[in-house]
Amino acid sequence: MATEPLERAREEFLAALAGAGRDAARIEAVRVRFAGRRSGLLRDLEEALKALPRETKPAYGKALNELKKLVEERLAAAQAKAEAASHSQQALDVTLPGRRPRIGALHPVTLVRREIEEIFLRMGYSVADGPEAEDDWHNFEALNFPPDHPARDSQDTFFLAGGRVLRTHTSPVQIRTMETTPPPIRVVIPGRVYRCDSDLRHSPMFHQVEGLVVDEGITFANLKATLEAFVHVLFDPLLSVRFRPSFFPFTEPSAEVDITCVLCLGKGCPMCSGSGWIEILGAGMVDPRVLRACKLDPERYSGFAFGCGLDRVALLKYRLPDLRLLFSGDERLLRQFEGVAR
Amino acid sequence: MKFSLAWLRDHLDGDTPADELAAKLTAAGMNVELREPATPIDASGNSLPASVGGSGGHLRREGGGVAQGPPEPDEIWDVDVTANRPDAMNHRGLAREGAAAGCGALKPLPSGVTEGAAKAGDLAKVTVEDAAGCPRYCARVVRGVTIAPSPAWLAERLERCGVRPVNNVVDATNYVLLDVGQPLHAFDLARLAGHEIRVRRARAGERITTLDGVERTLNADDLVIADASRAVGIAGVMGGANSEISDATRDVLIESATFDPRRVRATARRLGLKTEASHRFERGSDRAMARTAADLAAELIARLAGGEVAAGVLDSNPEMPAPREIAFSLARLSAFVGCAIPSEFAVKVLAALELAPRVAGDIVTCTVPPWRMDLELAEDLYEEVLRLFGYEKVPSVLPSAAAKPGRRLGSWPLTERARDALAGVGAAEAFTYSFVSEAAEAAAAGSPLAERGGIVAVANPLSARMAVMRRSLLAGLAEAAGGNLRRGAESVLLGEVGRVFFARDGAVAEEERLALALAGSVGDWDAVRAADFLDLKGVVEAVLSELGVTATEWRPASAAVLAAGEGAEVGQNGRVIAVAGRFADAAAALDLPAPVWVAEIDLTAAATAAHVPAFEPLPRFPAVAADLTVRHKLALHYAELVAAVTAAGPAWLESVSPVVRYRGEGVAPDEVKTTVRLIYRHPERSLTQDEVNAAHFALMDRLGRELAVSFS
Repeated sequence: MATEPLERAREEFLAALAGAGRDAARIEAVRVRFAGRRSGLLRDLEEALKALPRETKPAYGKALNELKKLVEERLAAAQAKAEAASHSQQALDVTLPGRRPRIGALHPVTLVRREIEEIFLRMGYSVADGPEAEDDWHNFEALNFPPDHPARDSQDTFFLAGGRVLRTHTSPVQIRTMETTPPPIRVVIPGRVYRCDSDLRHSPMFHQVEGLVVDEGITFANLKATLEAFVHVLFDPLLSVRFRPSFFPFTEPSAEVDITCVLCLGKGCPMCSGSGWIEILGAGMVDPRVLRACKLDPERYSGFAFGCGLDRVALLKYRLPDLRLLFSGDERLLRQFEGVAR
Repeated sequence: MKFSLAWLRDHLDGDTPADELAAKLTAAGMNVELREPATPIDASGNSLPASVGGSGGHLRREGGGVAQGPPEPDEIWDVDVTANRPDAMNHRGLAREGAAAGCGALKPLPSGVTEGAAKAGDLAKVTVEDAAGCPRYCARVVRGVTIAPSPAWLAERLERCGVRPVNNVVDATNYVLLDVGQPLHAFDLARLAGHEIRVRRARAGERITTLDGVERTLNADDLVIADASRAVGIAGVMGGANSEISDATRDVLIESATFDPRRVRATARRLGLKTEASHRFERGSDRAMARTAADLAAELIARLAGGEVAAGVLDSNPEMPAPREIAFSLARLSAFVGCAIPSEFAVKVLAALELAPRVAGDIVTCTVPPWRMDLELAEDLYEEVLRLFGYEKVPSVLPSAAAKPGRRLGSWPLTERARDALAGVGAAEAFTYSFVSEAAEAAAAGSPLAERGGIVAVANPLSARMAVMRRSLLAGLAEAAGGNLRRGAESVLLGEVGRVFFARDGAVAEEERLALALAGSVGDWDAVRAADFLDLKGVVEAVLSELGVTATEWRPASAAVLAAGEGAEVGQNGRVIAVAGRFADAAAALDLPAPVWVAEIDLTAAATAAHVPAFEPLPRFPAVAADLTVRHKLALHYAELVAAVTAAGPAWLESVSPVVRYRGEGVAPDEVKTTVRLIYRHPERSLTQDEVNAAHFALMDRLGRELAVSFS
């Protein structure tokens, strides 16, 4: 049949157009290949008409015209679709903000507390808790604060009706732990504590974490290594750690632990009062009087204890200016902690 | 406490540079926190170019003490002396620490007083009637003084230590206090009735006007210094105005005594009168120094104010108790520290601290001098040796590995899960105060969760805003939400996990709570709408299901904490575990600028209700869904409708869930159209459309008969 090339051309065209999809450039390439004025296939087929015998010309011509019409229509339709697709693609502006579900944010003090707990959990410490409304024995007396002793002055205690106090430190949980758990003891005790004091650096409510280790043969060298490991993980392994003798009624000997100022790296700045050091922990070997109060034999057991202010660590870590901001419930602050690993 | 460097050097032999002295004191536990330069001054008050010694303290021994070379400029040091070391709260005591830390040797104190012929015993009399309250009372008499301003060097030294100069006699007593730590008092002898001192208990209701001009009422536990007729001072706290030194004073009686620390503390606290003297006596004072300081003060007064020191000391109790002896093992010290401490080192520093160490084999025995009241146990001596050895020299050795893995104890597993649940629903975790105002407490009361016990009041609150312990987290959190709205927040979602406090059976009971506050809008930028009850309920349900609590019953609540008709209580097994709704704030105590939706969950109750999931086989056959629109009275609650639908359906009606609620045109005002989607699925075979249709129509039929509902 003479129209056979037309049939073949038709099939080739339809396949090529289908392959081009809604891609305007590829559709244009199909148009040039089939309907291009100079070298298009249709033009070649039109040229071929001239060479045909007269009797086949009418049929061929008719089929050719139909083919031309089909090509024209299909190309136009494909181009229109391509254009529409390109508009709808432009209508989607991927730079618009997404409709986000609300992301939660843990409180900065929760974040540092968990970070600290994780460090100690990995070293085999458990995390203990106890009441915030304490009795005198656990908050003071068992911790070697005798009644009417000046050491109690430093504690600025809130009293509750019925002789209880709001615990001034988490140390009473040390006592509760030693009263109920035979050594070896390894615990950290985070929690809320209260003191009658309020200014830029003090809040009547704040948070501490304390640690306690009691076993046979616990040494001051153990205390040093433990606290060094702790601050190196919490802040920076390159920080210097300094132990200074100090006094707490429930430890003997006692130490204050300073680290290189995290703001000025030891050069001296207002935050460290120019000293280059920041006081971060109080610590010491558990006083034998405290062990005895908990019915543990100081001849057999020794231990160390340490404590630090969680709020203060949060201020240092996140560079917050004022302790009281932490308790304001201000979402502008709290939402800054969205997405902090927890 | 403030110290003068030059004054410290009066007590220290050797010329350790100031920087080294400060560093060594700090390393030994006397933290030199601040150093300020100060110009040396001479007797006429001019700055002193070449010689400090000649005009310096009376304690300088070197025969007029003209020092060679330019003097070191003085410095004012602020030293943090810990509460257990009253003995170091004076220049000599701190100098002793310096000597022990290897900065020279402590010079001996001067001894001997130039006395006149008249005998003190003929001029005055001392009787201690309460020896328990006053273990030792020493008095000296100086006659013929001329009251005048102190010389510049002395006034300047006092001022450098923060003490205001008064006159030569009073300043001399203060100088000796700062020098050796013994609080002193000077009486005008002529004003003591009968020229007599009696140390006795106050009479109940006895009144005295103290030196600060305030009249104070005493009780029988207070100890007073009295003359023959009346109290002239409160023992260990402050002298009386009736016997104070005036410009007319000629004869002076110097008191240098020791008082029971607990009695001084009790009196000072009750009177709210904290003085240099009470601060020291509360912490314990040196009984031997009571005598020495009387001599030092008498000598200094005679030098500054003229006059003659009468012969002899009126001393109520010259006997010293036997000193305490403490022995310790050097081997145990090293084992306790975790490294070897050379015995020569231990002995050297203990000797420098005047502890008279004697070594016998491994045992060191020390005699505790009367100023070291803090030393009782072997561990106390470990500390003395270790702090001077240097904490920095102790190696760091981790304790051997733990035998057991650590875990969270007590309520931590529960509260930590609750915090994660809060964060999981998009809340910002807030911390609000555990104490609230009485008005805020009242605003949060009236809830089944808040009324599980009485209110615990704070006896000494910092302010009325912190008067009582919270029984609910709602007031604090709603107030925080209100604060955010006032600051312009468009959308607020806060959460808190914390404790509430109840007075119960004469004790304080603490329970764990979780609270939420939702205000403003929900949704994001082009899909924003005002938050309503169902938004709150959704958040609460999500939190509960994160806590493992699923089957809950929601009922309208009449709790006063929630606005009427806009609140619910959440029950589980007949127990209320949560409340949720719009915070009523009926008395406008919190002044909320817009509606705040709140919820509070009793975490302990929720924890008991929590269930552990067990695997349910996954469905193997397809489901058929069919919607059902029911028109019914508003009084018929959705939960009741679902229960009725479920009861009316076949056993293989898998679930009923809401599609839409419609009120408005074509629905009576007391009615609502509820469309629910029913999912039919048989666990063991595929359903045919015919049997689903039959079941669905049977369900509608039964529903229509049992409830006043229609399906149009």
